Amino acid sequence: MAFEPILTRNIRHPEVLSVDGYRATGGYQALAKAYEMEPGEVIDQVKASGLRGRGGAGFPAGVKWGFIPKETGKPVYLVANADESEPGTFKDRLLMEKDPHQLIEGCAICCYAVGAHVTYIYIRGEYAEAARILEEAIADAYAAGILGEDSLGSGYRQEVYVHRGAGAYICGEETGMLESLEGKRGQPRVKPPFPALVGAFDCPTVINNVETLCNVPHIIQRGAEWYASIGTDERNTGPKLYCMSGHVERPGTYELPIGTTFSGLLETAGGMWRDGELKAFIPGGASAAILSAEHADIPMDFDNLAEAGSMLGSAAVIVMDQTTCLVKATARLAKFFAHESCGQCTPCREGTRWAEMTLYRIAEGQGTMADIDLLDRMMKNMSGTALCALADACVGPVASLVKNFRHELEACVEQNGSPYPERRYFSAEGAD
Amino acid sequence: MPKVTIDGRTLEVESGTNLIDAANRAGVQIPHYCYHPRLSVVGQCRMCLVKIEGMPKLQTACTMQITKDGMEVTVDDPEVQEAQEGMMEFLLINHPLDCPICDQAGECGLQDYSFKHGQAFSRFRYSEKRTYPGRERIPLGSNVVLNMNRCIQCTRCIRFTEEISETGELGFFQRGARTEIGVFPGKELDNPLSTCVVDICPVGALTSTRFRFAERVWYLDKKPSICTGCDVGCNITVEHRRGAIKRLKPRFNEWVNDYWMCDYGRTTFERWEEGERLVTPRIRRSNGSSELVATTWAKAVRRVLDRLGNAADPEATAFVASADVSTEEAFLLARLAQAVGSSKRRVVVESGPERSIPTVHGVVSGSDEGPNRRGALLAGLEASTTDEMLAALGLGDPDGGGLELLFLLDPDLGGRESESAFLEAARRADTLVVATWLDGPLAEIADVVLPLATTAEKEGTFVNVGGRLQRFEPAFPPAGQARPGVDLLIDLLVGLEIGWRAGDVEAVFAQLAKENRLLAGLSLSDLPAAGVDLETERGEAE
Repeated sequence: MAFEPILTRNIRHPEVLSVDGYRATGGYQALAKAYEMEPGEVIDQVKASGLRGRGGAGFPAGVKWGFIPKETGKPVYLVANADESEPGTFKDRLLMEKDPHQLIEGCAICCYAVGAHVTYIYIRGEYAEAARILEEAIADAYAAGILGEDSLGSGYRQEVYVHRGAGAYICGEETGMLESLEGKRGQPRVKPPFPALVGAFDCPTVINNVETLCNVPHIIQRGAEWYASIGTDERNTGPKLYCMSGHVERPGTYELPIGTTFSGLLETAGGMWRDGELKAFIPGGASAAILSAEHADIPMDFDNLAEAGSMLGSAAVIVMDQTTCLVKATARLAKFFAHESCGQCTPCREGTRWAEMTLYRIAEGQGTMADIDLLDRMMKNMSGTALCALADACVGPVASLVKNFRHELEACVEQNGSPYPERRYFSAEGAD
Repeated sequence: MPKVTIDGRTLEVESGTNLIDAANRAGVQIPHYCYHPRLSVVGQCRMCLVKIEGMPKLQTACTMQITKDGMEVTVDDPEVQEAQEGMMEFLLINHPLDCPICDQAGECGLQDYSFKHGQAFSRFRYSEKRTYPGRERIPLGSNVVLNMNRCIQCTRCIRFTEEISETGELGFFQRGARTEIGVFPGKELDNPLSTCVVDICPVGALTSTRFRFAERVWYLDKKPSICTGCDVGCNITVEHRRGAIKRLKPRFNEWVNDYWMCDYGRTTFERWEEGERLVTPRIRRSNGSSELVATTWAKAVRRVLDRLGNAADPEATAFVASADVSTEEAFLLARLAQAVGSSKRRVVVESGPERSIPTVHGVVSGSDEGPNRRGALLAGLEASTTDEMLAALGLGDPDGGGLELLFLLDPDLGGRESESAFLEAARRADTLVVATWLDGPLAEIADVVLPLATTAEKEGTFVNVGGRLQRFEPAFPPAGQARPGVDLLIDLLVGLEIGWRAGDVEAVFAQLAKENRLLAGLSLSDLPAAGVDLETERGEAE
């Protein structure tokens, strides 16, 4: 039985870009329903749904909302994390470009639940089109009385602002995002204090991923029980957007129940590209440990992937066939992290660059066996020692390469470079 | 107060104490670069990782405040050591290791921690070192030079300009391994405290324009002193090699200058180095040629005593000091005047620009051009400006008469407008006695010239603008035959045969303490390091 899309149900219906079109699909009823409830009840519903953060860390959303202190005398803010920058991830873009009101409704419900009146949607700078669409949708929502001083006649004030980033991966880290939002250099803060207590402009702040917030109207509208019935178990519930890329026939975003197996996903995406053979896959974006083909039947949820030593992360699934040089692929990932390190803390600033150089050296045939041990040692020194998770993000793929694919590194050393020929996917002759 | 256990040692600390400071008190050094007790905590260098019972990962000690009982911390631990070694390796792979030509060598955090936590070999290929071409010697302002290749991105300098000087000239630019510090476009690091960033830079990235290549630091002798730049009275260290001062550095005193001092104060020793130094007593020949000739101390003192004894009208003698004199010198000068019977005993204080130092207890500001107006007052001198002093002594009229005898102790002409009037009035005195370290215009017109030790060469106390009595020590012996003012004034008092006995600064201070209730019970050698607040602890000083 095919899974009926929930978050992406409207993506082929451009009429939902308008408030009326969105309303025609039942939109903004959840917000109206939420206003009938006590804020605490809304939080309880979200807790009961088992919704976990879709940005990468998988923290239960309702619990996060519950951390917001009451009556501090300070305003509370919601920051929607739309800085989708994890390599291989393109799900939030789809949600924002194709169904912006779903996000706005999710934000509004969250604000009501936690006592916030202002949402900042911090959107990746490169997402110019999504930002434009959001701005239009927000203007429409103000005009329709959904946003503004008296949202849907509830008397509750709702404001939404779009804030565009300037092109830094690190601003997807929640405290780096807050710094950037405040007009400062985008670099993560020391935690604690956590944003729930000291967030944007030193005020209590909820930060949720776009996809997380898009789930909220459905939970309110159709009930926590319905939502929790989707997925692997009570800790891994709801629909999930998987971003399939790499050596698959039909790359793209697929909405499936969380916990769908990797092989199930691959099948949905049309199988391996040109009937290639699966060699390895990254289950959760560039920061996740690389898994070998033997994990193909793993359920793609938070806990099963963690158990396998990787993570669901942003559910960016990067598929690699037997022609892939994992050393070169990992070197490219390390290059990304070195480029995106904010540079404030030592292990990340120095370690990511060193990892990049060492991996390229090995891939290009200048490496030694000692370099492989060096990589291993370097990853240990970077692991858990940095200020934020970016160093650990680099450790994810690199450490897994050393641990699970050491033979590939050794082959590069022994054969004076990568044994895999350079592949050109978009050559002059065309890539059919 | 919460208890914390660090490497098995349990101690009680004030709630909110930073773990690095608490460990320090327990005798455990937690290595760190970015942490500074007066700057915001950023947790960036990651050197201070320690093990804390109940926490899954190593934690940065700098981000830990002790607020409740029972925190158990382990620093002496293989896992911690491994992290420290790893961090040192990260910091050093791109460091130029140019210690032989680096001013910071000898007082460098990288060297110190390499010694303790480093490795003897490098796993990094030298050719891959990151450098910042063209940014090896960038002046950030007139006092500070940046060598970006040596920087470890601890951001202490940036935070200093944001949080202490509140001028915000510095920032982080670029990112990742290209991250660098610099001044914002159109700005210059030119705040009055700018050189403090050199002090707090844990490595050789920021060096002082003045001190660059001046001396290897391990050849420097260091003595505690007090800045003479104004009456804030910043606690400083005089750093010299065989009597040649190379630099003045701030010395911690949370009540006066905290960890800081101003750029102007750092230059105050230069006048002693640049001015022609007076090293021999001189007297004017009485045989008609009236030429100034070198003499011995005994003869010079004898001449002064003769003139003091011969003064027909005690009120036509005057005793004038600058605010550079120590409290003890001022006290003896007042006593000398008293012995002669003169009521004209003054300290000349001019106002200069206001100089301010932010401390944890508030900003301390001073605008006197000398450090010790309050000490001189306490010791019995009257304070006035040069013009007021000239008027009070009846010397205001350029065509009027002069004094029978004018005794100047450490006079400071200072290049002010009043200088010529002062010189003119001094010239009109029948006998002009000048005790000074500077072979300048006053020494030229004096009848007796007594070579004086500078503040760096003498011992004593100053009382700062807030009424804090602070002690300074001699950094090195006086040049040539110069002597501290206390010694020569005691010679004169003894010579007057009025019951004074020879003694040292300690004895003079004891005498002063006996006579002045504000100082009751104090002794010079037992003064606390932070000085004594005469105002709030011991009642009004003035």
